[in-house]
Amino acid sequence: MTTFSRRAFTTAALASLLTACGGQGSDRPTPDAGTTAPRPQSSPRPGPAEGARPLARSVPVRLLVPAIGVDTPVIRLGLAPDGTVRVPPVTADDRAGWYRHSPTPGQTGPSVILGHVSVGTYGDGVFRHLARLRRGDRIVARLENGTAVEFAVTAVRTVPRTHFPVDDVYGNVARPELRLITCGGARTGDGYADNVIVFAALSGAESPTPGER
Amino acid sequence: MRRTVLTALALAGTAVLLGTGPAFASETATPSPAPTAAESTPEPEESTEPAASAEPTRAPADANPAPDDEPTRAPAEDQVSVVPSGAPDTGVTSASSASDSGFGGTAAGAGAAAVLAVGGGTVLVVRRRRATGA
Repeated sequence: MTTFSRRAFTTAALASLLTACGGQGSDRPTPDAGTTAPRPQSSPRPGPAEGARPLARSVPVRLLVPAIGVDTPVIRLGLAPDGTVRVPPVTADDRAGWYRHSPTPGQTGPSVILGHVSVGTYGDGVFRHLARLRRGDRIVARLENGTAVEFAVTAVRTVPRTHFPVDDVYGNVARPELRLITCGGARTGDGYADNVIVFAALSGAESPTPGER
Repeated sequence: MRRTVLTALALAGTAVLLGTGPAFASETATPSPAPTAAESTPEPEESTEPAASAEPTRAPADANPAPDDEPTRAPAEDQVSVVPSGAPDTGVTSASSASDSGFGGTAAGAGAAAVLAVGGGTVLVVRRRRATGA
């Protein structure tokens, strides 16, 4: 009987262990499947081309933003005596301006181009509809050497002028990028409350054919 | 004998109970709707990422955190050689501020200088004439 009882004990213990393990094993897949299934990883965004190479320095002379109908000459802008960046003159034929202490479009770094949203009694500025740009929209900068540098919009931000993100706009970056800046937001007595900043990255470049300029 | 049988049964019972413990624990987890619902809360965070990049384009008042495709910092020397201070003033709401461009101010200054030069010249001529007794 002693042997019988031992056998009974062993079988009972084994059986109970097996049921316990089996129960756990059958339960596991359900929560796992439940948690993994509805968790789609953020889909890769269609960003700008990664392999776009930086270009040699050449000053921008024209800017085209087809999505908002911009086709404007580009002038050079420096610094005002108070340390702020100069803006294009207020004229009927409003133009964009490239900040000459920033890289030229296509060079590694943030190339900065500014334009008015409105020019007083003259009406709309050249960057009137800048805030309408969306991620992936195309921007083309034509350079003095005839190259057409193409950028793709990566982000559009509207920020209060009192909290202008100097580092994000002028800070060093590891690839050729472009910033388009204008004013926006609520209109106050002497200007606008916000700045609209378009961030774009180099997506390609087209060198001039021998026949061209 | 009885003792051994009873001990065996008791041990078997405890083993079964121990086995069912985790089973119950996992069963409490099987109301998987609860955990999945709880886990689905982090999802909006993921989904807010793409929304964050899209939002600023719509809501002008939103100063959203930097979109992830934004500046990739480079360890190189400064690419913008002189960083301007403050925000650029690229919105002129009235014609009176046209002088902001610098052009209006220069024109006014040049005009004032011309008036002064002409006035000074006239005074000199009048004095000379008086001195010569003409």
